Amino acid sequence: MDTLTEEQLESLVGHRFAGGHYRIEHWENWLLTDCTGREPLPDGLAHPIVLFHVPILGVGTSIAELFALGGVSGPGSVGLEGYDWEYVRPLHEDVDYRMEGGIVTARRVVDDAGRTVDKFAFEITLFDEDDRMAARITNRWVLRR
Amino acid sequence: MSDLSDVRAGDEIPPWEMAFVDPARMRTMAAILRDPYTVHWDRDANAALGLPGRVINQGPLNLGYIVNMLLAWAGPSCVRRLTVSFGRPVLDGERVTARGRVVSVADDDGERRATCEVWLDRDGEQVVTGTAVIALGGS
Repeated sequence: MDTLTEEQLESLVGHRFAGGHYRIEHWENWLLTDCTGREPLPDGLAHPIVLFHVPILGVGTSIAELFALGGVSGPGSVGLEGYDWEYVRPLHEDVDYRMEGGIVTARRVVDDAGRTVDKFAFEITLFDEDDRMAARITNRWVLRR
Repeated sequence: MSDLSDVRAGDEIPPWEMAFVDPARMRTMAAILRDPYTVHWDRDANAALGLPGRVINQGPLNLGYIVNMLLAWAGPSCVRRLTVSFGRPVLDGERVTARGRVVSVADDDGERRATCEVWLDRDGEQVVTGTAVIALGGS
């Protein structure tokens, strides 16, 4: 895959995802919680780490599309830098969450090891069925070329 | 769940251990996330990274161990904010332990909250570090 020029990279800032909805299914929450090594939470509560995939899929994008937007592919091309996840209210199964968001950071930098890498971040906000903010995520990735 | 009535700065959060990072769980997680990144499920793909025959755990699962520690300590709906940074990758078969410490306690948005330093430990190395804001209402 061709490397994005610095100008192409920076033009990603402001890109808005299509927006959309997502309903966390019981089976999905059950399996995801099991993957973390604990029992399901009571009362249909979703495990807090649903805030990784639910916003991405619910806002109308995917991990694959995010990789493509950043112009990266292959093992080692993407690293996690960090997350900032805010929970305004607990997330539940079988609630129709609406999502909106976009890319907030895309810039080329030299890291501590002297390598040129791209910093890439996206922010997505979740709203519940009463259109109250339920959560907001900012995920920061490092793209290596 | 712990008694949260007297939580103070400096208190240690009871640790939570994942004794064996299971590659089967990584595969299930990749399917749930619709994650095409081969590093989590294709052992052959990671030779180029100097990790032949190994697979790399998903970042959300590493964070999940920290979250499980917090849920066990302060209840199933206690998490208000997670701000974390990821260091070196966690590989299949490794043992990791989530740990944390209360930094401060204050009233915020109508409830008592603890701000906590949290991390994921692998043989003394902190592979995830960050801050968690936790409601101390016990629910």
